[in-house]
Formats: sequence, C-alpha cells, structure tokens
Amino acid sequence: MKINTLEDLIYIREVGLKKLKPRDKVRVSVGMATCGISVGGDVVFEELKEKLKNRDDVLLTKTGCIGFCHVEPLVNVFIPGKGILIYHHVQTKDVKKIIDNFSEAEKLDNVLCQIDKWYHITSDEIVYGGGFTNIPRWSELGFFKPQRKLVMRNSGIINPEDIDEYIAVGGYSALFKALKKMTPEEIINEVKKSGLRGRGGAGFPTGVKWELAKNEQSDVKYVICNADEGDPGAYMNRNEMESDPHSVIEGMIIGGYAIGAHKGIIYIRAEYPLALYRLQKAINEAKNYGLLGKNILGSGFDFDITISKGAGAFVCGEETALIASIEGDIGRPRPRPPFPAQKGLWGKPTNINNVETWTNIPLIVKKGGDWFRGFGNEKSPGTKVFSLVGKVENVGLVEVELGTPIKTVVYDIGGGAPSGKKVKAVQTGGPSGGCIPTKFFDLPIDYENLTSVGSIMGSGGLVVMDENTCMVDTAKFFLDFTVDESCGKCVPCREGLKHMLFILENITKGNGKEEDIKTLEQLSETIKTTSLCGLGQTAPNPVITTIKYFKDEYLEHINNKRCPALVCATLIEFEIDQRKCTGCAVCAKRCPVKAIDGIIGIGETFRIDPNKCIKCGTCLDVCKLGAVIKTSKGVVNEKQGHTSSY
Amino acid sequence: MKSKDIQVLINGQEFKAKEGELVIDIARRNGIFIPALCYEESLKPYGACRMCIVEIKNEGVKKKITTSCTLQAFDGLSIETDSEEVLKHRKVLLELYLAQAPNSSKLKELALRYGVNRTRFRQKIRDDDPLNNSCVLCGLCVRVCSEVMSAGVINFIGRGEKTRVNTPYFEQSELCLGCRACAEVCPTGAIEFRDDGDIRIAASWSNTKVELKKCSMCGKYYAPVKLDKKIDTLYYYKDRDDELRDMCPDCRRKAIARKMTLIAENEVEKYAK
Repeated sequence: MKINTLEDLIYIREVGLKKLKPRDKVRVSVGMATCGISVGGDVVFEELKEKLKNRDDVLLTKTGCIGFCHVEPLVNVFIPGKGILIYHHVQTKDVKKIIDNFSEAEKLDNVLCQIDKWYHITSDEIVYGGGFTNIPRWSELGFFKPQRKLVMRNSGIINPEDIDEYIAVGGYSALFKALKKMTPEEIINEVKKSGLRGRGGAGFPTGVKWELAKNEQSDVKYVICNADEGDPGAYMNRNEMESDPHSVIEGMIIGGYAIGAHKGIIYIRAEYPLALYRLQKAINEAKNYGLLGKNILGSGFDFDITISKGAGAFVCGEETALIASIEGDIGRPRPRPPFPAQKGLWGKPTNINNVETWTNIPLIVKKGGDWFRGFGNEKSPGTKVFSLVGKVENVGLVEVELGTPIKTVVYDIGGGAPSGKKVKAVQTGGPSGGCIPTKFFDLPIDYENLTSVGSIMGSGGLVVMDENTCMVDTAKFFLDFTVDESCGKCVPCREGLKHMLFILENITKGNGKEEDIKTLEQLSETIKTTSLCGLGQTAPNPVITTIKYFKDEYLEHINNKRCPALVCATLIEFEIDQRKCTGCAVCAKRCPVKAIDGIIGIGETFRIDPNKCIKCGTCLDVCKLGAVIKTSKGVVNEKQGHTSSY
Repeated sequence: MKSKDIQVLINGQEFKAKEGELVIDIARRNGIFIPALCYEESLKPYGACRMCIVEIKNEGVKKKITTSCTLQAFDGLSIETDSEEVLKHRKVLLELYLAQAPNSSKLKELALRYGVNRTRFRQKIRDDDPLNNSCVLCGLCVRVCSEVMSAGVINFIGRGEKTRVNTPYFEQSELCLGCRACAEVCPTGAIEFRDDGDIRIAASWSNTKVELKKCSMCGKYYAPVKLDKKIDTLYYYKDRDDELRDMCPDCRRKAIARKMTLIAENEVEKYAK
C-alpha cells in the first residue's frame, strides 16, 4: 500500500505496535547487529527459532544493538503487562530456560535489567510494563544512567528489518510533517536553529551546509550519506544503519526536500554487509509504502535513494575523495574550491552528511530546533554516540550529551580499566585524534574542547588506554594505519607520515636518537599545515599529543632503551623466576619457538633462551604460578597480560 | 560571465588581476617566482606537490598557509610567497622530495635555491625503478596523457607510499602515441624515451615501442605514426598540405621556403612582363 494521509500512517502505526507490543503474545528478540552476531547472537537466534517453531504464543524477532556490547548476546523478552526483560551473555544452553517458564522469567540469573518504558522521541513514551520485582530498570544501570539516547532512540528495541515497527515508534512522522506542513526554507531554518553540527568529525553547521547547496541554481542536485566509517575501533555508524536504518533514510528524504535534490546516494563500505542488507531492505520497504519514489506521501515531491558500495579506503570518507569514488575515479581528494555544494558529484551541487547527522534530522524536524538545543552545550548542541573501546570494562556504544566530561564516559559508563588497572589516557577521534591524559578528564567533550587539547571529535571513536599501554607504540599503531590509508596524492601525507613511522619504529626498537623528537615535531607541523585533505591535516595528532603529554616515555625509549609499559618487543625480555617455578613445563610445551628448556619437575632448571625468544608472551599467559616475568631494563611487572596496547 | 577587475597584493606589491584567477598565474605573469612541481597552466588545478604554498595575510582567514595553484584571487587579497612560515614548511617538503627522488638533478637544483642540500630522511633507492628514482608522483604526466592527449596510457598504480606511475600491469601499451608530452612536462626529468632507428622506445613506460614515420624527402625518422594519425583527426589540422604531410619538420621548412621563393620569382616575372 502507499501511505498518503495521516490516517494511513496511523493505521500502519497500529499494525507496528501490535508487533512491538503484542497484546497476547510474548515477544522474544535477539540483539543481532554485527556486534551481537559476532559473539553468537545468530546461533542463539537459530536455537530459539528451532525451539519455538511449534509455539504460537511467542513472537520471535531480531533487534539491533542497545549499545551494551560488552554483555552480548542480549535477548529481550517482552511479556505483556509486565515489560521487557533483558538477558545478557545468552548462550544456546540458556535458551530452553528462557522460553520454558515465562511466568518466572525474572528468576534467571543472567537478567541484566528491565525496560519499563522507553522514549522513542518521535512518538510519545511507550510504556512496556515495569512489573518485574527486584530487577533494576535499565535507566538505573551505571552504564545507561548518564546516557541520553537521541540517535540510538530505537536501537535494540525495534526490529530494524520491519518498517512497521519504525512507524510504530513515530517513524516517518517527521517526514510527513516536513512534506505536508513545512517549506524547504522552514526546514533549513529549523536545522540552523538546532545548531546541529556535522557528526563526521569536522563539526560544520549542518543548516549552513544545506543552505549553501539549496542556494545553488541547478536542475540536478544530490544528497549523499557518508557511511564510509573506517576508523579502527569505531562502529557507531555501522550500528546506526544496522539497528535503525529507516532513521537514516527519513533524514535523507527530508534533506533532499530541503535543498531541492531528487536523488540520494548512500556511500557505504562493502565491509558492512549486514548494514548494506538492512539499508537495501529498508529502501525497498519505504518504496512499497510510497515513502521513496514518485510523489512521496502525495506531496508531489520525488526522491530516490541508491546505494553505492565503497571498497573500504579510509580516505574515501573525505568528501571530495568520496565523490571521486562514486564517479568511478581513484578515491583521491580533489582540491577545493569548488566545494561539493557548488560542484560535487558529476559537477552538480551536492550535500554530504554523515550517517549520524542524518539520523538527527527527523528529531529536529519533529521536535523543533529549540528542543534539540536543550541537549548538549551552547556551541555543540545535541548528543554524540561514541564507541567506547580499548582497556575499559564496559565496551560498547554510548550516547551522551555533548559537554559530558570525559571521566563520566570512561569511569561512570565505561567502568574504568579492567581488573583495577589505572587508566592512563583516552584517544578520541580515530587514527587522526590525539591521546588525552587523565589530567584533562574533567574536560566536557565537545568539538572545541577536544581541539584545544590537541585531539579531535572525529566520528566518535574513544579508545581507553591503561598503564599497560605504551604511548610510543600507540602513536606507532595509529601512524601505521594512516600511512597505509594515505591515498598518496600529496607529498606531506604520503612521504612525511612514512618517515614519521620509520622514526617511531626506530625508537621502539631502541635505536632512537634525542633529535628524533624534534624531527617528529617538525614533520608533524609541516604535514598538518600543508596536507591537501583532512587525513593528512590530522594524521600527526597521535604523535603530537603523545610527545606533548608523555614525553618521558619517549625519552625512556630513546635514552634508557626501556619500555616502561613493557610493550615494545625489542626492549623487553621474558625470564623465569626460579623460586616460583615448579618445573611443570607448560610454558615449554606452549612456546611456539621452543625457546624454553628444562628438566620436568625441577623448577630451577627452566630457562628462556633470549636468542630464540620472539617475545610473544605465551609463557606469561599460560603460567599459573606467576613464575614468568617480563622486564625491561629494570622495570619489572609480574603477571600481567601480554597483549599489544591496542 | 565577465569577471571583475581586482587588486591583489603579492609580497606587498600591488597587481591587477581578474576575480577568481589563480594566484600562481598572477604571480608568474608578473615575474614572481613560486616553485611548483605539479602545476601546469593547460591542466586542471591538482594541488598535490604543495610546493606553491603561500601565506595569506588578510585578517580573519582561518587557513593561513595554502597552495597558490588552488587559491582564487579576490579583491584585496594579500599574500606572501616566501614568508618565514612558508619557507619553513617548503624546506621540510624539499627534504621529503630529496629522500623520495634522490636521483633528480632538477630537484636538487630547486632544493639548493632554498638552501636545502641534504635530507634527514631515509632515501628510497630502487635498482629497478623505471623512473630512475626521480619520480615525485606529481601526476603531470598522467594528467597530460589523459587530459591533453586523450590517450590515457599511464596512471597511478597502488596507493599511498606504494603509489607508482606506469602502464597497466607494467605491460607495453598499445595506446601510447609516443608524443613524449609526459617527458616534456615532468618537473624532475624522470621519464626516459629513446629513438632507435624506426622505433621510439618509452623506456620508462615498460619499454613500450612506437613506430616512427620516415620523412619522404630525407628519409629521417621523425615522428610516431600513431601521433601523426591522431593529429589528422584534430579539426584544426584537417587541411594539412598533402605534399608536406609526410615530411620531417626540417624538410617541411625547406619545402615551404622553396615554394615561397618560387611564388616570389613568379610574381617578379609577372611584374616584369
């Protein structure tokens, strides 16, 4: 059917609500975004499907990720009248327990929390229940409490593969309002008023960007969704597309209407097959309902979206390189001017926004720019989703208001470093961001503040580092990534970064010289100032900030040939503490290069041959007695996990 | 659309220009030297070599250092071509270039102009480099081949620091016209061609061979056959004189001169009668 009137929309909403909140059925949904699937969510889903095939009192569906990736696979069980229970770490063996006795659902030991009510924002608050006693509400958990879910308003609750459920929670009502009641100028004004800034990282005001594209005279214009997320350790956009694809599509249609474009393109990396599948499915569903195509909602406005797959080059996230890639050219940035708003794709005015920016649009249209300004701070309104990863207890996707202090995210939401270790720094903004030491953890996160300490907002990666992280090694890691991903067009980025990496490699191997730091600083400055695109202009940030805040670590490597965090392989050694060794020979058996020898049963005889040792750390990991120790010229750390810093 | 006449300040000196003109063009027209490796007037701005950076002196400009090959002039624009800041970065860039293309004497000359006579960085020397360890990947050859000659024989291969320029799969190209435009525009003299009898060999481009045309007068091989044919397709060469078309430039000049003399003699005779 085609949706034309408000009545049509309300009708679909009722249909959707019956699926989301069935009156007489239990709804079991499995968190099946890529993060959930990777830890076995799909196996649990199949098991449930098998066990439930003869039960008509249960509705089994998929859902996206609610953000708490650390405790996945998650299974939501909605029991009419009582609410939604979320089970964590669900394995196939738990399936039977879950579905056998719904009346005592809350008595299972892997209950995470209950959802009593949920504010989807585009609709009124939906009350799911709240009838489970002694089960914490989701909003009471430390992980969720400081969060504010705007972008992730539907993630982990609705079925992303069903447009009806999206409409049930108020989806496409913003589009309805935009097309039927607002002029393009009014929409742009509302977006400008909201103060929304580009969530891809640069933070350019979205409303202003739209206005530039709108004011260009052209019969053909394009809107593009930049879904070429490629930062190591960052997956916000992937989840937004996998858990709530329609919110991206709705935002794009509104954007197209506002600037006068009739064609939208989602540029997404082919490494995101699930996001690709769900987006395509969502586009097809929207077409069936007349929300894409000719004469949308009977308003006379035509708009279509196609998907363009990228081959995963990091630099193609840069606007002009992205355009070149869609045109079939090499993914290399082009000089500006002309700006994409003037001459973008195929020489036509083009407006490019990040996935997360698009998902904010329906909210602003529906609730107004002033409402949006109520979140975040003066210069950076709204929220931002961060992917909190690294040496932190609660790994996951967290959405907080801009202006939230770093420490709230790292300690309150993230729970600090695992096993009581001390957090040392946090790296924001992906490979081009900087490392922020703990002394700045009171800093409210926003675009300007992060820039002021030498980092960037970026698309929202947040990597936590603890005392076992070597900052020189970290800088090397990120540089290795940017060297690999540099397109090779301009010389500072292509050659400069390469030489920076050479120097860092030398330092981590103990071959560093004191003047290396100066050379690194000089190179960084030139690369930042003279590079053609954003990749080169920000790539030296990890090096600049680690030198600035952790210079002593560099000096330790250079002068004392010592790695204080015991990470850099060339500078560390493994030894066996003869007093603790019992001669069990586990280490000798597991050593991949047979570097350990001794007489079984006689502890004192076990030795590691330093000439053979490749410093993989297996012996340290397998020794249950703590007899293997890692040293670096006097720095000794007994029994710590030997993992690379990132 | 007619562009407005404007005034710009380069190194404190005032110059007339048109609005939207590229700053590098204005400077060069007025005899001000701005080094550039990837810029060529007949090609679209590319912005890769970063040597042509200048410093914008106007208030309120966010990015002070920018490339003059992409900077469009506006009224009152004030730039400096060799400010302290510009020189600082240009020297580091030159060091990077010297490390990348250690064999290019043209590059060494340019570096010396800025007092850079050594590089702190590890030099990249490959024994089998068809571009003689002189290529800086400015892309001029690639662009002139496709944008001007519409031949598209060479392109970039690989990405990042592994980027190289050559023919696809390093195989001999059937499309090469042998025009040598690439070698002509190369700022570092990296591209090598040589003529061997009736064959021109593009040594840098996977030893691509192009057949040469023989002069109908003196018998000298003078131009690639394919290039000759290509020129025939261009409208402004449609009515090339048939007698002259198979001659080398030397013989052509002689033939034209002879013709002119004959005409002149005829005229004299006619006049005498």
